[in-house]
This record gives sequence, C-alpha cells and structure tokens, in this order.
Amino acid sequence: MSIHTPPPELSRRSLLRGIALAGGLAAFGGTLTACSSPTGAGGAGGAAGGTLTLALNRSLVSLDNKLNQFDAAVTVQRAVRQALTRIDEKLTPQLVLAEKFELTAPTQWTVKLRDNLAYSDGTPVKIDDVVTALTMYQQVNGSFLASFFPEWPKVVPVDDKTFTLETESPFPTLDYVMANILITPAGANQPQELQDGVGSGPYVVTAANRGTGEYTLKRNPKYWGIAAKIDTIEVRFMPEESSRVVALRSGQVDVIDSVSPDAVKQLAGLSDIKVETVDGTRLNQLFYNFRKPRSHPLANPQVRQALSHAINGPALIDNVLGGVVTAAAGPVPLTLAGAVKTGEYVYDPTKAKQMLDSLGVKNLEVKIIWESGEFANDASVMEAVAQMLGDVGVKATLQQFEPGGDILKWRQGRAGDWDILGNGFPSPTGLASTMMQGMYAGTAAKEATRDTYHGYVYPAITDLVVKAQSEVDRTARDKLLADAQKAIWDTWPCLWAFVPKAVTARRSQVEGIALTPANNYDVLNVRLGA
Amino acid sequence: MSTDTATSTSSATAALAADRPSMVTAKQLSRATATRQRRSAHAKMWIGATCALLVILPVALANVLPLPGPDQQQLTARLLPPLTGGHLLGTDQLGRDLLSRILHGGQVSLTVGVLAVVVSGIIGIVAGSAAGFLGGWVDSAVSRLLEAQLSLPLLMMLLLVVALFGSSIPVITFVIAVAQWPEVARLTRSLVLVEREKPYVAAARVLGLHRIAILVRHVLPNVIKRATVVVLLLLAQAVLLESALSYLGAGPQRPFATWGRIISDGQDFVTTSWWLVTMPGLVIAILVVGVNLFGDGLRDRVRRRKGSDT
Repeated sequence: MSIHTPPPELSRRSLLRGIALAGGLAAFGGTLTACSSPTGAGGAGGAAGGTLTLALNRSLVSLDNKLNQFDAAVTVQRAVRQALTRIDEKLTPQLVLAEKFELTAPTQWTVKLRDNLAYSDGTPVKIDDVVTALTMYQQVNGSFLASFFPEWPKVVPVDDKTFTLETESPFPTLDYVMANILITPAGANQPQELQDGVGSGPYVVTAANRGTGEYTLKRNPKYWGIAAKIDTIEVRFMPEESSRVVALRSGQVDVIDSVSPDAVKQLAGLSDIKVETVDGTRLNQLFYNFRKPRSHPLANPQVRQALSHAINGPALIDNVLGGVVTAAAGPVPLTLAGAVKTGEYVYDPTKAKQMLDSLGVKNLEVKIIWESGEFANDASVMEAVAQMLGDVGVKATLQQFEPGGDILKWRQGRAGDWDILGNGFPSPTGLASTMMQGMYAGTAAKEATRDTYHGYVYPAITDLVVKAQSEVDRTARDKLLADAQKAIWDTWPCLWAFVPKAVTARRSQVEGIALTPANNYDVLNVRLGA
Repeated sequence: MSTDTATSTSSATAALAADRPSMVTAKQLSRATATRQRRSAHAKMWIGATCALLVILPVALANVLPLPGPDQQQLTARLLPPLTGGHLLGTDQLGRDLLSRILHGGQVSLTVGVLAVVVSGIIGIVAGSAAGFLGGWVDSAVSRLLEAQLSLPLLMMLLLVVALFGSSIPVITFVIAVAQWPEVARLTRSLVLVEREKPYVAAARVLGLHRIAILVRHVLPNVIKRATVVVLLLLAQAVLLESALSYLGAGPQRPFATWGRIISDGQDFVTTSWWLVTMPGLVIAILVVGVNLFGDGLRDRVRRRKGSDT
C-alpha cells in the first residue's frame, strides 16, 4: 500500500523564501569578494605601473585651464598639457617645454624650446603654438589668468626653436607667470575651454565625460621626456567630502585633495592612509563689496575695520578650521615671494561696538554670499561669522550658492546686492605681485566691464603694483610691493582672511607626490608601491 | 466517564445556543479575518498616532521647552556626544544643541509639509472632483495634465523650480504642493465617477439642482473622507521631499535648521560623530512611519465602514 503524496506546489511563500535565500547568498558572496580584494582590480593595491584613481572635490569640466583653474584641476591638466615652465614645491620656476628661459634685457626674455618636443599625436611643438596660446588666453572672456598679466608679451621668433618675449615695460616675473600658459597645437587652440586632449604631457586622454567630471588618462607612448611611472590615471568627481573620505578608506580611490580639517581627523591614525600638509598660497577671504555707494556704511574703511573686530579668528581657526589654517597677516599670504606682514585681525567685540557707535552705525544689516565648496568648512565658517556679527548688533543674512549657480553674476553686481563675499584666490605663480595684480590692481576701465576684484579700485595702489611688476631690481621691487601691501591693508578690504594649508590624503602605496603650496603636484613622478 | 463528558458538552452547546442564535463561537469570531483586520487597523492607528505625536508634540512645543536656541553656537563645545555637557542629543559642528536644532528644524519641515499637503489636497480634490463629475473637456484637460506631470521625474522637477525661483519657504511649499496634487486628483476623480452614477445624484438632478451644487453639497461630502486619508498619507511624503531638497542644498537658506540640512552637514562627520546623522534620521523615520501607519489604519477603518454602510 502506498501513501499518495501531493506534488509540491510553488506557493507564493516558498517563492519569496527562495528569492530571499538567493539574495542573502548573493549579498554574503559579495561581502566575501569585497573582503578579499578591497581595492578592486587595478586599484590602489596594484603594483607600479597600474592604475591611480584621483577623486576631485570639484568637477573637472575641461583639461584646459583658461577658465577652470582650481587647485586639483591643475594636477590633471598638467598631466595632459604643459607650459614652458612650472612652479615647483619650493615655489620657484622650473623649465618644462623650454630649455632656456632667460631675461636678456629689461623688456625681453629669450626662450628656447627643447629639441625633441612632440605632442601626443606625434606633431612637434612649434613657436607658433606659443603665439596662439598667448592670443587665446588673452581673448578668453572672464579669464582668471589674464589678470596676472599687466601686459601681454609679444613673441618674436629668432629661429625655429628660439624666440623672445617682448614687453613694453619690464616684466621681471614672466618666467613665473608663463607657467600658467598651457601650450596646445595652434590649429586646435581656441579662446575657450578645450575639450580634447592633445597636449605634450606624459598622459593622453582616452575617455572623458564632461558632465560627470570623469576622465581616463593613459600613459603617452610618444612623450618627449622620461615616461610616467603609472599606466592609467582615473579621475573622478566626488563633491561630498564624506564620500571621498569613505572611498579613500575603502580603497576605491587612491588620492583625495583639499581635505578639510575634520576629514583629516577622521583619517589620522589609519595605517594605510597618509596625509600630507604644506603651507598654502591660497588666500581665503570674506571680501567686502567695493561697489557700494559712498553713503553706505561699508564704504567707510573704519566701519569695515570695526566689523573685523567682531570676528573671533582664533576660535574659528582652532575649532571650525581644525588648526590647519593661519590667519592672514596682510593682504596676501606670507608664503608668497614679496609678501610682508602688515597687521593682524584682532578679536575685540567691545571695540567693534564702540567703533560702530562712534561712527553712528546702527542696525546694520549685511548679506554674505558664497559658493559651496569654495573652501573647506565654508558653511560652518559663514554661520559662525553670522553669529559673531550678530553679537555686535549687526544682522547678517547668508546666501549660499551651489556650484553651477549664478554667483558669478552676483559677484559682478549683475544679479543682486551683497555686502561680503566668501571667496578663495589662489596664487599659482607663488608671487605676491601676481595676486596683488589680480585682486588689488583694479582700474576704472576694468571696472567698466566689471573685471575688477569686486569693485576694488584704488589708483594709487594700482600704480604701486604696476610699478612693482615692472621693477627689475629685486630689492626695489620688494620695497614697492611692501608699500602697496601696507596701503591695501589700510583700506581694510576683508572682514577676515586666512591662509589654508594644502592638504592631500593618499593610500600609503602611492608614492612620489610632491605637493606644492599651490595644492597640486606633478603626476609624472607618482608611482605605486607594493 | 464518557457519558458524563458527552452530557456536559451538549449542555454547554445548548447554553451557547441559548445566548447566540449561531454555532459560531466567540473564539472563532475573534479569529475571523474581519476581526483581525479591525484589530490591525486599530493597532496601526494607535502605534502610528503614538509615533507621530512622539515627534510632532516636542516639535510643536520647541519654543517653550527649556532648550538653547537652535542657532546658539558654542565653538568650544562642538561635536559633543549625546548625554554630555547638558546636551541630550549632543552638539553639532558649531557647538549648537542638536536636540534644539532637530526640534526647530522640525518646525520648518513640518510647516512646509502641512502647508504643502493642504494646498495639494485642495488643488487635487477640486480638480479631481471637477474632472470626475463634469467629464468632457474638463476631465480631458485635468487627466492629461496630471498624466503629463506624473511622467516627469519628481525630484528633478522640484530642483529645477527651486533653482529658477529661489529656495524660500513659500517656493518650496508651493513646489511640493504642486508636485503632489496628481495623486489626490486621481483618487478623487475615481471616487466621484462612482458617486455620480448613484440614484441620489439622479434624484438631485431631477429636483433641478445645478451641477456644481450637486457636486459640492451631495457628492463631495461622500468622497471627502477617503480623499482626506490620502492627503494625510502625503504628509509623510511632503516631509521627506522637503528633507531631500534641503539635503541637496535646495532648502531654505542658512542658518535655518531643517532636517535635510542637519543630515547633510552631519555626513562629513559620519565616522567620528555618528549622532549628527543618526538622530535626525531617526526622527524622520519615526515621523514617517507614524504618519503612514496612522493613515493606513484610518484608511482601513474608512474602507470597512464604507463596506458595512453598503
């Protein structure tokens, strides 16, 4: 006798159980896989010659620096395109495409290109390319770099490799400034950001997505110099710092830059992570709007000074900025060549109130604007500043712009009114004079097109800066610069300013990163250890 | 022995039959699906109401509770963990009391949420009932409009509008309200379509009432309860949307504390100061679960009553 057993049915419950079991196994398997190889194929754990993955805090919208000139971008841009010179970690110019770059007369520099120079497509680097590059940087609209040139040099060829750079007035720091003019084949250069990757650098672009800010660079097989040590560089855009930190810790990326003080604390003590810090050349400021009418309280430098006394700089540095910045002691960072100490920001809220009272300023309201990511912990700094101003009776309202917003129009005074701007100004030349030229040498003509630094126009100061720029004698130049800096300080252009340290965090396998004070490094020498 | 048992069982059955004219026992009734559903709806409503009130009451009373101001900074006491320095939930990156930030932030998030669902409820009920009752071109216009809107990615649309018109509380409220009206409108339309075919509507027509009067005086009162339940469920979604916008940087300007912003600011400290993200996240979760459970329970009760009415 047999017992009849009904055939098993595929009920909904058993189906769901099966799916759950399969899902659980898949998740467990995935975890095991992740544990066995945290960095993934070709990641940081690879041997020398593998893949280096960089995570940038801002989107790299092009591999050209005409408009896109934030610190970490320079690292990638210079991997593809090169200039005649570069600024090294000691802030001195080094020859790159130029074999010789010498001041042969007060208004003349003689430059000789290297013999074996070639672009990644095999074509040679020509003098015409330098001529075109200077023209394109000059023509580009809203160029940050253009402000470093008191006048544009004229290229005069001597032979097929040698040329002179001629100026009307002496330009003794041209070798520093030319480090920012990236050379591209003349036929491919345009007065705008370039999207293709033809350059003379050690890497070529094999994949680019401007929208996501992701790029793949491969070693340039036709590089004219010593070949790069790493085969592939992957560039990713990770705007959230927490994501960058987690990605670095988990081995998804190898290097992150512009690390905030709080992230440094999170990474401190991890054996497989190294954090490098050098004194920076960037000036982060809360800059006043100098386009205010004369009747406005902020048009008075004493009012501006009074507000500065309300800012508790030491508390901001120690607590909000984690001690990895220094308070500015002049209108430019003291790390720059030619910078001098002109004063300091003193926290004295009682004095701030007294000064405001004596100046008859009551119920002052200020609007502070900034773009997210302008500097580390920017939002916290702004909120702290707003409360500090509130403590002396000044009502501060905040307006934060997301990247890609219209803050540029606001800064130019074309969109809305504001009083204080949170902004960072880099100095890729390592010179005080170029930063002063960019920030404080405004003229009425420039202001007519809103090309001054937020309306800062003081003709006497501009004269001093221009004279210093054209002074060949180093001692005399430094004297002129010092005078200009003292004059600038007396106009009290910033509510508060600080100089951040350049901070990079990397996995310990990554070696050879020589971080410069300008917060970039030469990828040519970077290698992956065991 | 067996005779005794049989006698006692038959007497109990007789007694039961005397109490109730049915062989179904009270135990069987308590296990019945309808009873379980009623109990479940009841439990959902109570648990939901408790969870929601656990968040809503402190948020509503934030201004009278003995708490530091939400923007009152103490830079020397930043990132204190919960239950230290007199801060129940700890402090944030500027030394502000996290509990106070969460409660005051909740006022912004809840205000936006409530206003948004009220506006979206009004728009949805008016448009949906008009479409369902009037039919014709009104129905076509409303239906095509809500289909068009439903086909757009919600968050992207919200971000676009906020980018164009600024991130003030009225703008955020309005965009969330506009984003949510299709759900209410669709449900109201379908409910009205059912109601308009019923005899009482025909009777009202015969009596010569104007169409709008029939809709407002007779049809709407019969659908409003069920539509309101859906509106209540949208409150949780509205709060989540507001938090999402703030998290993405499209919320009200600083220093306004909103739940999304508190989480967004706190995520940079997630590995060292877990409470900055966990606490506001927990509050959002409790509120959303509470409102949804309450709404579910209410819906089940309304549905059951409707069933028993018919």
